Amino acid sequence: MTGTKPNTRPPLDGVRVVDFTWIVAGPTCTRLLGDLGAEVIRVENEQTLDSIRFGRPHPNGFDPPDSSAMFNWLDRNKRSITVNARHPDGLDLIKRLIRVSDVVVENYSSRILENWGLSYEEQRAENPEIIYVSLSGFGHSGPQRDYSTWGPTAQALSGLTAMSGLPEAPEPAGWGYSYLDHMAGFTAAAAITAALKHRRETGTGQWIDLSQVETGMALTGPATLDFTVNGRRYRDTGNPPGNRSVWPQAAPHNTYPTAGDDNWIMITCTSDAEWEAFCEVSDHPHWRTDRRFATLPARLRHEDELDEQIGSWTAGQDGRALMQRLQAADVPAGVVQNGVDLVVDDPQMRAREWTVTRDHPVVGEHLTDGLQIHFARTPAHRDLPGPRLGEANQYVFAELLGLSDRRIAELQVNGAMG
Amino acid sequence: MGALDGVRVLDCSDPKGHFAGKLLAGLGADVIKIEAPGGDVGRTYGPFLDDQPGPERSLYWWHYAAGKRSVVLDLQTSDGIELFLELAAESDIVLETWQPGRDHPFDPVALSDHHRELVVISLTPFGQTGPWRDYAWSDAVGLALGGPMSSCGYDNLPGTPPIRPTEHHASHIAGYFAATAACSALYERQASGLGQHIDISMHECMGFTIESSAPWALYEQHPLIRQAGRHAGPQPTEPWQYPTADGRLINIFGMPRSEASWLALVAFIQERGMGENLSDFELLDGRKRQLGLQQRSVAVMLDDIAEFIAANDAEEIYAGAQAAGAAWSTIRTPDECLADEHWHKRGFFVDVEHEERNRTVTFPGAPYILSETPWTHGRRAPLLGEHTTEVLCGELGLSDQELGALIAAGVAQ
Repeated sequence: MTGTKPNTRPPLDGVRVVDFTWIVAGPTCTRLLGDLGAEVIRVENEQTLDSIRFGRPHPNGFDPPDSSAMFNWLDRNKRSITVNARHPDGLDLIKRLIRVSDVVVENYSSRILENWGLSYEEQRAENPEIIYVSLSGFGHSGPQRDYSTWGPTAQALSGLTAMSGLPEAPEPAGWGYSYLDHMAGFTAAAAITAALKHRRETGTGQWIDLSQVETGMALTGPATLDFTVNGRRYRDTGNPPGNRSVWPQAAPHNTYPTAGDDNWIMITCTSDAEWEAFCEVSDHPHWRTDRRFATLPARLRHEDELDEQIGSWTAGQDGRALMQRLQAADVPAGVVQNGVDLVVDDPQMRAREWTVTRDHPVVGEHLTDGLQIHFARTPAHRDLPGPRLGEANQYVFAELLGLSDRRIAELQVNGAMG
Repeated sequence: MGALDGVRVLDCSDPKGHFAGKLLAGLGADVIKIEAPGGDVGRTYGPFLDDQPGPERSLYWWHYAAGKRSVVLDLQTSDGIELFLELAAESDIVLETWQPGRDHPFDPVALSDHHRELVVISLTPFGQTGPWRDYAWSDAVGLALGGPMSSCGYDNLPGTPPIRPTEHHASHIAGYFAATAACSALYERQASGLGQHIDISMHECMGFTIESSAPWALYEQHPLIRQAGRHAGPQPTEPWQYPTADGRLINIFGMPRSEASWLALVAFIQERGMGENLSDFELLDGRKRQLGLQQRSVAVMLDDIAEFIAANDAEEIYAGAQAAGAAWSTIRTPDECLADEHWHKRGFFVDVEHEERNRTVTFPGAPYILSETPWTHGRRAPLLGEHTTEVLCGELGLSDQELGALIAAGVAQ
């Protein structure tokens, strides 16, 4: 629950965000801003709805635009209005909204807002202090600004896809979801909060031009430097190494099978002390003195044998019990958990109330997931479910923008609020 | 000027917080990295300059410590912790990554209580509470327990495990949460005049970074199937990665949605004498091209596309498909990214002087372009203890003699 005493409101209390985002990258950013207390107003359009409003699952049956669990998960803590930006009166509504807001976020292709008449300069004409974030695949400058990406496109182009996989496999494993949609969203949130801090100090807004591919390339530092400094191309490194460590050097460092179907435990010994503790727990104390395994260089030379022996020891054991035994000896070990494990079977998550029950008029009673940042004095919140399409039209148009009921009715009829 | 100009960050993090500190430095903060005598463990992470290990030769360190200052202080001694607390009193943010029950040299909550304007960020594997609070951790264990890894791996290589992507991504993910926490707490402080303690659980950060696994788990308790190079899903889907004539791979996930874009893509392929079946009338209907539904029309389409890709070179296919409006991509390696002029035109790659080596090194640069408060790469990573004297004597007012005694006692370096 949000604080009501002085100085206990969430940190972004009072910040208003005009949210033109869709799919995953932009909404990741604005969910985080909403959790931090900003008032996030999604500007939607009935003709070009966010496809996430159709995204599965639909726990109470397929009844878009308000029945999607995916949408309700990703777009909590936001309001929704419907406006047609291509209608002159719709554009005027948006401009009025920008005048009373602090931040504009969008993740369309790079010319859409410009084409609407909402370039940064045009936004600034409405509100000189506005902070505008454009989040696109390639950014708003450069020869390829009209190319487009999805998360997997950006992951492939940034090098991140190639850096995940088994060395002997014909293709990389890459990422099994749009990692860079999330990361670009987090990047945008960090930039926005920094820009808000700067603006409170100086009164100056700014334009944050964010390229999703660049957010990925920024995560490849050591591998990129191995090329620019040592001249070594990634393909010549023998990587990706599956679940073995690239750096720091460590062995064992891998996944090993445990009892049941497709269950795995990650065990990583990054020091001799951890290796010795592991050997004690393993019922194979002689591994410690085995010349093949006694030192890290030896273990790295005999990593295939090491992994095979450990794998035969873990196979058939209960993964969670094994994790606890290893952890009791201070060995970094963790079972591979999927989303269901996090929700159902994770005592750490349960102890910190990672999930709580919330209600939604269409989706019904459901679990929403956790806050990641726990402010001691100004707690974040997860009180609002994902908004029904247009649920805040009255609030925004009448209360915030001061339009008369008659004018609102006109705009409904003439298509500006479509 | 940077957005965080004038903000001082006292950074006593281990690798969990190295990216968080780098983000704050890039935004303009003065980040003082406290290193233990002998150097931060990050200096032992490769790759190394000319493959020779050494505290000043770690390319990991060059990347993650760039723009920070280095002060060597042994926080496990009473003199060291005393000086640390004096520095904290002069700082805006303290960033720390000790697990609460593991030889913590100071109490972060008490530190925050004592300095009311200070923002103290505890970035730890599982947070300050809970049964796993002090569990031994590594980046890979974090990705395994936290959920991201379970969606990654191979459907076409039976018996293989989920695969964790390389390069410290648990710390990357959590680093953004720490940076956002820092900036939003500073923003709030501008109004209230008050700092606070912030507890960030990396495990909870991972738990948000799993995309559609989350709603399927939260609402249906339904796990997803991992698949090579593409999204995990509730049901199997068609492959996205196809080999090219020049031994590389193309990702075809971004299939055209509009008819115009589809026709442009078909024209691009047919100009090269291939893709006869792509003229199939049925494929004009966008729904008949939609991946993931195991449709016969898609199987036919993908056969022709795979054949076309196998007969052509990656970068040519990428450029032609993007010109047609299809968000296809070459699966590049980090070194291959440097060959793309687009990123150079945007100024993404940054040249940094390493003056003592008389060389200029090209780094990957900013994750964002801020028009008023440009991100800065900052100076090359600090040498071990490069700023110990500058900070302890110049800024904290120790005499040369006092510092000499601390160095002799092994407290500073």
